[in-house]
Amino acid sequence: MPDVFKDYVKKKFSKPGPLKGVRVLEVCTLLFGPSGPSFLAEMGAEVIKIELPPAGDVTRSLNPFGWFYKEQSPMFMHINPNKYYMALDLHIDMGQQIFKELAAKADIIEFNLRPGVTRRWNIGYEHIKEVNPGIIYIEKNGFGQWGTYAEQDRPSNDGASQALAGYAWMSSFPKRPPLKQSIWICDYYGGLMGEVAVLAALHHRRKTGKGQFIEMSQTENIMRVMNWVWPYQQLAGKGVEPTGNRDQCICPADTFLCADNRLAALAAPGPDEFLGLCRAMGRAELAADPRFQEHTVRLQDENALAILKIIADWARTKTADDLEALGKEFGFAATRLHNAKDMNEDPQRRERGFVKEIDDPLYGRYVEHEFPVMMSKTPPKIKWTVRPVGFDNEFIMAKILGRNQTQIDELYLHGVLGKWKDMQGRRPPSDWDGQAGYIIRR
Amino acid sequence: MTERKRPKWADWADHIRSLDDPAKNFDKPEALDDLTIIDLSSRSMAGPYCSSLLAELGAETIRIEAPGGDQVRTYSPNGFTHRGTGMAYIQEGRNKYHITLNLESEEGRDILKSLVGQADILIETFPAGKMDAWGVGYEELAKINPRLIYTSITGYGQFGPESGRNQYDYDNVAQARSGVQYATGEVLPEGKTLEDMPYATSTKAGPWIAWAVSGTFAAVGILAAVYYREMTGEGQALDVSTPEAYERLNDYMLHWYADQGVINERFGNLDTCLWLYGFYPTKDGGVFLGGLRLEMWKAFVDIVGKYDEWGAEEWTTLAPFMKKDWQLKYQAMINPETLKYTSQELTMKSIEYAKKGRLAPITPVVAEIVPPWAAMHDEVWRDRGVFTPVQDPVYGSIVCAQSQWKSTETPPRTKWACRPVGYDNGFVYLKYMGYGPVKLRELAEKGII
Repeated sequence: MPDVFKDYVKKKFSKPGPLKGVRVLEVCTLLFGPSGPSFLAEMGAEVIKIELPPAGDVTRSLNPFGWFYKEQSPMFMHINPNKYYMALDLHIDMGQQIFKELAAKADIIEFNLRPGVTRRWNIGYEHIKEVNPGIIYIEKNGFGQWGTYAEQDRPSNDGASQALAGYAWMSSFPKRPPLKQSIWICDYYGGLMGEVAVLAALHHRRKTGKGQFIEMSQTENIMRVMNWVWPYQQLAGKGVEPTGNRDQCICPADTFLCADNRLAALAAPGPDEFLGLCRAMGRAELAADPRFQEHTVRLQDENALAILKIIADWARTKTADDLEALGKEFGFAATRLHNAKDMNEDPQRRERGFVKEIDDPLYGRYVEHEFPVMMSKTPPKIKWTVRPVGFDNEFIMAKILGRNQTQIDELYLHGVLGKWKDMQGRRPPSDWDGQAGYIIRR
Repeated sequence: MTERKRPKWADWADHIRSLDDPAKNFDKPEALDDLTIIDLSSRSMAGPYCSSLLAELGAETIRIEAPGGDQVRTYSPNGFTHRGTGMAYIQEGRNKYHITLNLESEEGRDILKSLVGQADILIETFPAGKMDAWGVGYEELAKINPRLIYTSITGYGQFGPESGRNQYDYDNVAQARSGVQYATGEVLPEGKTLEDMPYATSTKAGPWIAWAVSGTFAAVGILAAVYYREMTGEGQALDVSTPEAYERLNDYMLHWYADQGVINERFGNLDTCLWLYGFYPTKDGGVFLGGLRLEMWKAFVDIVGKYDEWGAEEWTTLAPFMKKDWQLKYQAMINPETLKYTSQELTMKSIEYAKKGRLAPITPVVAEIVPPWAAMHDEVWRDRGVFTPVQDPVYGSIVCAQSQWKSTETPPRTKWACRPVGYDNGFVYLKYMGYGPVKLRELAEKGII
């Protein structure tokens, strides 16, 4: 291990996050929108999540087969850590005014609304630019701000993107119907790529003082990932077909059923890796077979299927753990398939602090994933989880806008600021003592 | 093409387009044109993908391969190549300068150190320990350039009990290790075996999503590290493990198991957490149907004419529909209804419903599940600049997925697709090392470049 990561987990809290001092406003719901600002919050930015009172983000209702954690949506918790929770009614003029006051003191604003809505609310890019010319302003949605699909006012979401990009179509086994991913990949990945745009814009602003408007369609975004697909279709003149667990660009690279009826994935395209695998199989001569010797020849479908059949027959005589161990010994990539139990129990994830316990004032101790970039000087870190709707109103109003309690109460009276509805996921957990988690206590 | 009616907010669409149309990208500045990147990636496409994202934003990106070229140049379906290059590299070689350098030789490593002295960011994907063994690990290079942001993308990370593994990082292995593949795939019906239905198993995604995710997380980390460096002058080391990066996009699985002991299992084309949310068959293929609010689900039921028969008027909450048995029951009821229409018909019904349905403007999400071939030929994406071909001086006209986001000021753009092995040795070594043709010949003879 290089010294630079010695005691990384232990010393995490002796160092700042990389985005210390960056302020972000988020007006987002579901997953595509909020995931991006969460990544910034994990890297130390101050992220203010603005929800519409009193019901807030729809994600607060979502759950796997009826399971909530202390009446809260586990998905909402996963997607929204480290934020400050404000509930502001952006439909009304006074709410829009408060938003603009906050925007004047922010670096980044993120939305995921249908095209034109921000303008209708008088907080569109042009409005905000007047009070903050350096603002970095991103709008994320299904089809962007212009173009035929956008103008049809089509709603969209993750599953629609998987469908429209061709992503699902090429993710099944051959001759099977297209397959949806079990994770909301186009939401999360779109949120992530949005931060590439935002952070690059931040760098540009540092050099020039100029802000910008960014728009992102999650379908267009996921098509960027499918890199080799496009020139292949263009130059080979035919569509890409699904190949199940076989990686059609790398050979051998597939998932195999093992003797213990568990699965293991392996990859061995390099000459040393392929030779290692052949030796592990006791078939060193295969590495010199003209069908398999060169990677580009081995990749030809007929040859690829031949070598994969040989490997599959061999894998059926080994356990998944055997395969993984042989990979380590003979120098090819191999792993048994991991599931949720492995996530929780694997020492590697724990010792790297990638899987860790959060100690939250409202929700207690629970297990969560850390941000997956370990940064030696500026470790990103998750500190707390979600809050009820409007939980941090007082803190934000006092800290950033200098409002006193009388002024804040006035805003509640007019319905500009709001608090949670008495409803699952919106209100505090039932064992809340009325104080825990408040930054400004009343 | 028939004249289509434009929405009330068409002036907004026109205004934004006038500001961010990718057709005008080259009139605009580049966000990262002050940064120099060295990409040493080997065997993994996570590194080249990461450097592509930064090179699309103007970073001067020096892609270093071993003489003879990196293995990633061979990655391609069926072994298909165009002018000697596989399809993956032809896509992710974009905007970079491609040079060769033999890191097995001491002279090669000295040259690397000189380049690092002039660079801002280094990306590498060797198994952990390899760079240190060569004497060009983070500690050594930081001595030469303390502002360096040194980024490793690997299968097992730079520390932790598994980090000593001498194995390269591959997408399919990372997908298997992330926990995502485990829970994705068709469900094996009771009484059937994998011998009967080998496709009803844990299934990875077709695209290299694990590599893309780790490459993008690395890019986000790099840009955050650049921000910090601009404030403090300090560089640092970044450690990204591909399975972890992809696993981070997994959602509730870890928490569910840790709290309830439940292992999330495959649920086919339905969704463990969401209703209405799944793939359904049509006359000519299939569609995605989505409606995460009760009204959207009711609107869908109305569209297929079952509003009264199924009692939609009485529904007051979506909650029971998310339960497993209800999902399966309603899936079986929906299937025959969607099979009465083509995908296009259902899509248009949803768009029309938003205008004059009983719950308008609420309407469900309906999206045709298309093959990538149809996606590539969809005029809407083309109009939005997503598949604009690049006129490459070596490879000709190449379709490159691009304009993944649009911007008024510093949009990403693609200038060239790729370069053959060592193509830019002349330019880069002259610019950064002052090496002319005589010196380069000498280095080539010694096998350094």
